[in-house]
Amino acid sequence: MSIKQAGRLPEISPKQREAFVGYLFILPTYIGFIIFILYPLIESMRISFQEFSLLRGSTYVGFDNYVQMFADPRLRISYVNTVTFTLFAVFFNAGVGLILAVMLNRRLPVLMRNLYRSIFFFPVLIAHTYIAVIWRFLYAQDTGVINYYLGVFGVDAIPWLSNAHWAMAAIIILDVWKNTGFAMLVFLAGLQSIPNEYYEAAQLDGANERQLFFRVTIPLLSPTIFFILVIFMIGALQVFDTIIVLTAGGPGDATRSVVLYIYEIAFRTFNMGYAAAVSMTLFAIILALTALQFWISRRWVHYE
Amino acid sequence: MAQTASTAMGQSKNTRGSGRKPIKFSDIISYTILTIAAILVMMPLAWMFSTSLRPTTESFQLPPAWLPTEFRWENYVAPFESSVPFVDLFINSVRITVAVTVGQLVTCSLAGYAFARLRFPGRDLLFLLLLASLMVPGQVTIIPIFLLMRDLGLIDNPLAIILPGLISAFGVFLMRQFFKQMPQELFDAARVDGAGHIRSFLQIALPLAGPAMATLGIITFNATWNAYFLPLIFLNSWHKMTLPQGIALLTGYMGSGNPSVVMAAVTMAIIPVLLVFIGAQRWIIEALTRSGLKG
Repeated sequence: MSIKQAGRLPEISPKQREAFVGYLFILPTYIGFIIFILYPLIESMRISFQEFSLLRGSTYVGFDNYVQMFADPRLRISYVNTVTFTLFAVFFNAGVGLILAVMLNRRLPVLMRNLYRSIFFFPVLIAHTYIAVIWRFLYAQDTGVINYYLGVFGVDAIPWLSNAHWAMAAIIILDVWKNTGFAMLVFLAGLQSIPNEYYEAAQLDGANERQLFFRVTIPLLSPTIFFILVIFMIGALQVFDTIIVLTAGGPGDATRSVVLYIYEIAFRTFNMGYAAAVSMTLFAIILALTALQFWISRRWVHYE
Repeated sequence: MAQTASTAMGQSKNTRGSGRKPIKFSDIISYTILTIAAILVMMPLAWMFSTSLRPTTESFQLPPAWLPTEFRWENYVAPFESSVPFVDLFINSVRITVAVTVGQLVTCSLAGYAFARLRFPGRDLLFLLLLASLMVPGQVTIIPIFLLMRDLGLIDNPLAIILPGLISAFGVFLMRQFFKQMPQELFDAARVDGAGHIRSFLQIALPLAGPAMATLGIITFNATWNAYFLPLIFLNSWHKMTLPQGIALLTGYMGSGNPSVVMAAVTMAIIPVLLVFIGAQRWIIEALTRSGLKG
């Protein structure tokens, strides 16, 4: 039925017409939502209970895939790597971002503040892939710029991408370089929304700079800090682009992340059932983090 | 929340100590740290650009020259003449990015308007369900989407990336927020003049939605232009690939032997992002801050 016909029919009330237009407007989004999110999510759960083969079809195997995970050392390493990366990346992204934001929030000419803010933020917009391509050259052991400058200070050439520990450090440093600008931006907005009166009142009471920071700024900024921690955590748990370009998970399995592992078992060995089961564990973790964020931010609203 | 975003835009009403006071030691420290940080952020990009203009035999010159010393613009031609079909990659990226951005602007503004200004049974539940999908990471849905695309014969076809990209729960959320803020009087007046819902949307709401559309358009443009995961899975022949894929392969393809050409390619791929950033910095920052604070 076209809209015009609907308009001509006398028995359709304005209310029904409004509802009809409403459903019509959300239809494209909902078609996409059902086909590309809802159906795949349910299907993914179903596949996670199957032994999957592109050629031979699939068979139902119950919880086998889930049980198999406990005996998979590579999955264990991938999770250890992912958690290590997440802890360091979140800590440094939030920490550096907060320091930069606090400094930008001090007395600065507006032009300077905007210039610095733009510089810090720009890497956020560049693809991880390109950044990783650039840094792969910078990290080169003998010809790289980073080792050259470390050499100036008397540091021996670091095997950035060929040593297990340094490779993880390399990925974390790159991530902080790229993403801390986003934390800076959100922190700066949070800082600027703190009313000046709080500082003035504290200063009247004789608080010094340090007390102002720890007793006024940090508590009032805590919802923003918590938000940044959670979204950076969710992002870091899904790290993929940087790693596949920079180290491809190596050396050995030293930097293989969970998502990279899922990608490899799903699309290189086509073991889709097992890959789906692994992806479900990641989904559960992210869901829990999001729920935690909702719960805590609600409590915060109460305390304000 | 919108207020906090706008104060971050540089007016900075609440910036501490904006009065005239003597310069303190701590000011000098923070200036120094900010400047060092800014230099550290700029260095890899400066290296990228100066290397891209260097003769290929001097790509690895150490100590690095941070400013271009020579201008070998032929490095920028080299990717086009290499075995990597750079022109195709560029066209593919543009095509996918434009299709996804335009598609999202249409679907998100329609749905955002319906969720904000029309009443229909189940509206709030349907919106919540959509919003909840923001929690589903892409890696969870990718396997069934891959199997679906394979059954549809869309592997190695840009449609496999465009179709899932046509909708966005985040975009619907953003547009809904914007349409909700519009004054009801506007729509009442239109109703009195005999405008139906579709005309109200097209002639009243949409013309005023420029800033929100620009914001969503920029975010979608950037995300799609930079996307790597989906193209990596769906596009596997040289002439179908997108720029990030091509450049990642170009690096590996030529080994680490020729950074100048790779850096020229990366510079070209970053230029659209830089242009959008310079032109629309205000919107990008406002949108990201707002979505950030709002969650």
